[in-house]
Amino acid sequence: MSHIAELSRMVSNFHVPGSGGTDSSVPEFGFSPEVILYPETVEEISRVLGFASQKGIRVFPFAGGTKLSLGSPVRAAGAALSLKRLDKLLFHEPSDMVSTVQCGMEVREFQNAVGRENQLFPVDPPGLSSGATVGGLVSTNLCGPMSTRYGTCRELVLGVRAVRADGEIINLGGKVVKNVAGYDIPKLMTGSLGTLCVLVEATFRLYPRQPFSRTLVLGFDDHVSCSRAARAILAADVVPTCFEILDERLSSEFSVAPGAKRSILLRFDSFEEAVVEQIKQVREITSGKPASFVEMGDEDSRELWDSAREFPFSSAASFSSKLTLPVTASIEILSDIESDPALSGVTVRSLARPARGVALVSVSGEGEEAVIAAGFLENLADSLGGRIMFSDVRCELREKVKAWGDFGDALFLMKNIKRRFDPGNILPGEKIFDAD
Amino acid sequence: MDTQAVKRTGRWKSRIASELVGILGAGAVISAEDELIAYESDGLTGYRVKPLFVVLPSTAEEVSQVVGLCNREKIPFVPRGAGTGLSGGALPSREGIVISLSRMNRILEVDIPNRVVVVEPGVVNISVTDAVSAEGFYYAPDPSSQIVCTIGGNVAENSGGVHCLKYGVTTNHVLGVEMVLPDGAVVMLGGPSPESLGYDLLSLVVGSEGLLGIVTKVFLRIIKKPQMVKTLLASFERIEDAGASVSAIISSGVIPAGMEIMDNLSINAVETTVGAGYPRDAGAILLVELDGPGAEVTAQVPAVSRILRENGAIEIKLAADENERQLFWKGRKSAFAAMGKISPGYYVQDGVIPRSSLARVLGEIGELGRRYGLRVANVFHAGDGNLHPLVLYDPEVEGESEKAEELSGEILRVCVDVGGSITGEHGVGFDKKRFLSLMFSEQEIDTMNLVRCAFDEEGLCNPGKVFPTPRTCVEPGMGKHGSHNHAPKGMGELF
Repeated sequence: MSHIAELSRMVSNFHVPGSGGTDSSVPEFGFSPEVILYPETVEEISRVLGFASQKGIRVFPFAGGTKLSLGSPVRAAGAALSLKRLDKLLFHEPSDMVSTVQCGMEVREFQNAVGRENQLFPVDPPGLSSGATVGGLVSTNLCGPMSTRYGTCRELVLGVRAVRADGEIINLGGKVVKNVAGYDIPKLMTGSLGTLCVLVEATFRLYPRQPFSRTLVLGFDDHVSCSRAARAILAADVVPTCFEILDERLSSEFSVAPGAKRSILLRFDSFEEAVVEQIKQVREITSGKPASFVEMGDEDSRELWDSAREFPFSSAASFSSKLTLPVTASIEILSDIESDPALSGVTVRSLARPARGVALVSVSGEGEEAVIAAGFLENLADSLGGRIMFSDVRCELREKVKAWGDFGDALFLMKNIKRRFDPGNILPGEKIFDAD
Repeated sequence: MDTQAVKRTGRWKSRIASELVGILGAGAVISAEDELIAYESDGLTGYRVKPLFVVLPSTAEEVSQVVGLCNREKIPFVPRGAGTGLSGGALPSREGIVISLSRMNRILEVDIPNRVVVVEPGVVNISVTDAVSAEGFYYAPDPSSQIVCTIGGNVAENSGGVHCLKYGVTTNHVLGVEMVLPDGAVVMLGGPSPESLGYDLLSLVVGSEGLLGIVTKVFLRIIKKPQMVKTLLASFERIEDAGASVSAIISSGVIPAGMEIMDNLSINAVETTVGAGYPRDAGAILLVELDGPGAEVTAQVPAVSRILRENGAIEIKLAADENERQLFWKGRKSAFAAMGKISPGYYVQDGVIPRSSLARVLGEIGELGRRYGLRVANVFHAGDGNLHPLVLYDPEVEGESEKAEELSGEILRVCVDVGGSITGEHGVGFDKKRFLSLMFSEQEIDTMNLVRCAFDEEGLCNPGKVFPTPRTCVEPGMGKHGSHNHAPKGMGELF
């Protein structure tokens, strides 16, 4: 019996691509696995990895499959391992505001489950409405507009259950909000793109849902007044849940402030009187600067926040990028990008999340022009003391636009970690270490 | 390197001393027996080891050179901040060198627009807030020792404080570090940006208890001071009702900046010593601090008061002004010291439990106290379930300190039984390594060792801490999971 056939017998279900029978949930991997495994228990995953590491079979873990475009392409793996059937809510103690969930559960479903107790899992990643899972969320550390107030899931993950590349099942971290026993390996797993372990469960701290919500849209005629307003909001006694700056194109495409050169989106969630007071303050500190000032209720603003959350993955661009920068650089970068001749041949869309120092930029353009734009953005991030990640890079550009910029000093330590956790490179490490 | 250190000759010792003097200058190397005494222990004075030398470097370059020397000579080294730690994390290694960071105490940069302060590790915690206070900012983690403890120590221990529930612990406020790795290399992880990409190595370094290297520069996030702060003091007949109030407040949608509970024994100890105005006859008090935008806090105060009453509060006082607010907190912050006035000795424990288990755990702690015939005072960060039971004993009474230590250990078992942790903010260090196995399996502790080996293959950096039994760094593919050599062709070049 072939190794792959043996591997297949270790799980409840498997699917051989091209063997007839359809599985609509199989995503585009970018490589051709010989088999897709659908384990139903953690023990099955443990057996699969134990065997795979002995035989040198590479295993690619996935769940919702909505963000396989993140990181460098996987070159080859004998088996794809789906977490989709481990999709249960295992624990939720409302009075502790802590919940443990299996990685195959959809984030939205998890949010609905804790929402029934009036609690909030405050991460709104792109892909939320198209099947993003908890496992994918932790593996990618993607986040959305709410990260302004709550941070990314790095700030929320308290513990993980995972299967090591050699098949050992481990529980690290814990179920309490404060815990310094041992290294914080749950945070190491966050954003590791499945290259270190196969995550099977995660425990998160939750937040209370806020009773009242309002959204503000401020439109500006020029970038200078927008930057000033953004700095004033950062310095004010207000605590927005979401705070984004849109460039001209997105202001128009999200139909928030058509015709505006820039717009600022804000959302406040709290007691009603506190929200009203904060909106009043924003009006005062920005008085005279915005050309338009629109206040929206929860329902009316839903579409707007969906658009902001999905950007830049929603745009059919040549590539998207995320720049992590110092706070002030993330405010000014929209202008740096707009005014530079290096980007004159391409269509750029950009959104800044100033409190997080993040800028999201998508670029649409032909071949060489897109490559030049990518190089420009990489240099820009570097010169501002930040870093860059490219994703959704169109096929023909992948040779020239690599997923990761420079990791600096951290690279060899990252490699040490990978080598220690997975010496056989069973879990495709090229997602992060895109060696040529 | 956790094994018995090799015996060194006198000649070897004087050669190392002169090399250290060569690197650092004579004024930065301590070798006199009587001067070494001050470095024999940290805040946990029950354990003492005399180091070979203590060095006081002033730059990352000097730290790197000392570490390089230690590598060449296979000398274990232990980083040390202010030495206020309570888990023996800075306990010297026998025949080892203590690297004190106390002279690296400069604030290097204050960048208000980017909300970043860059400091050397020897900077005292409170100095960071002092440096940005006039601009309306502060550094959030506030361990009780904040007027003496240093940022380097805070990073090593992932220190908390009384405002963690809302604002998080040290790991949520460190954006980057420059560090000297255990082989002497100087690296930069993270930086001035709030987010980073790639493996989150910074999260490993924060809370690593000095085992992964020596931090020489830290990028700290500062946050705006809240517009309004209100502090409520509620008293209860029963401590369980105070506990139930904590859960009810959070469930209502309010996340207070801090919530602290003290039991009757602690209240009376504090009243005897500092007179904070706590009601002596209460079974427990709960301090609730609310902060944020003025309108939010103003709306929260009556909502929280109502919840407190619904949960059995017999009296609720709102601090009338800043002076009274400080007085409320003074009582809490002097609770440990107050124990020293009512008992000749006390043992501070640090455990964490889920909030929902509070009543059960307090009951079990009471029962343990009766069984051991010792008084246990309870002071804790109630919002995040971080207990600090203080076991009172008399060191003059034969066998009582051992009994206190044993009782203290039993409390940790109770914490783990209800799904909690053996330490919330003091660290594992030397003192609690024997309890790590209560929480983690051998495989899990092995997994932690993978991290340590990725940073410190020789195991010279703060050896003998955290891990319950010595672990070495067998090269991958050669250990018991030795069948990893089957890596598919073409994949090996990744490493």
